[in-house]
Amino acid sequence: MAKPNKDSLKTLSFITYFIILFVFWFILSGYLKTLLLFFGVISVLFVFWMSYRAKALEEDSLPLKIILRLPFYWIWLFKEIFKSGITTTALIWNGKYSPQLITVKASQKNRTGIANYANAITLTPGTVTIEVDKKTFLVHALSKKLSEDLQTDDMNKVITDLDR
Amino acid sequence: MSYNYIELITLILLAIGCFFILSGSLGLIKLPDVFSRIHAAGLIDTLGSGFIVLALIIYSGFSLLSLKLLLIPIFLIFTSPVTGHAIALFAHESGYKPKGKNKK
Repeated sequence: MAKPNKDSLKTLSFITYFIILFVFWFILSGYLKTLLLFFGVISVLFVFWMSYRAKALEEDSLPLKIILRLPFYWIWLFKEIFKSGITTTALIWNGKYSPQLITVKASQKNRTGIANYANAITLTPGTVTIEVDKKTFLVHALSKKLSEDLQTDDMNKVITDLDR
Repeated sequence: MSYNYIELITLILLAIGCFFILSGSLGLIKLPDVFSRIHAAGLIDTLGSGFIVLALIIYSGFSLLSLKLLLIPIFLIFTSPVTGHAIALFAHESGYKPKGKNKK
């Protein structure tokens, strides 16, 4: 496969964004008549034009490379959420929590990756990202075990690999 | 046999979801400070709503309705960490110290 240049990559990401918007419109409406589908295309084009005008379609915000890996990542994330959710529930019921602040290093390269990592930490129950510096997060964890799980760096590696 | 399997699975999943929501509400009252209470709210957002929506999807079968239901957890996945982060950052910026031992 030849190396794609920047413009064709951008066109591809525009097309993907258009398809995602139209699928979203179709799920919410469920109409199959031609006239209504035409109105749907018009409204999708309007949203597309507005987000283009708001410069929401830069390369960084719509990374095409990770879209195929996203389902696997979500399945992994659900597993993590479930595991730490069980731990947090046990902590709430038996009352053996010891809240603490820790700092975590992030090794993602672009802004999307860092936001993704910070959100993944907040999404797993028991850990909340409080402050994001350039490459370090200030994280509040509910117990020692949860903070040690985070400091093993597994989540960081998975999210860095997502963007390779 | 009066139950069919789908109703049974729905019942079990709804019960699990309700249990997580109960635990989260208990945590909101019981935990000591703002930062710890965000954890309990996060538990309700992710596991509680997740299991209940999963139960409803299984109950409704595969149709356009279940796709619409699937959109709820997808939106929650994007919005719930943002709200948690906003509350935590504001509490931190206004000088609120978390209880318990801190190592920086």
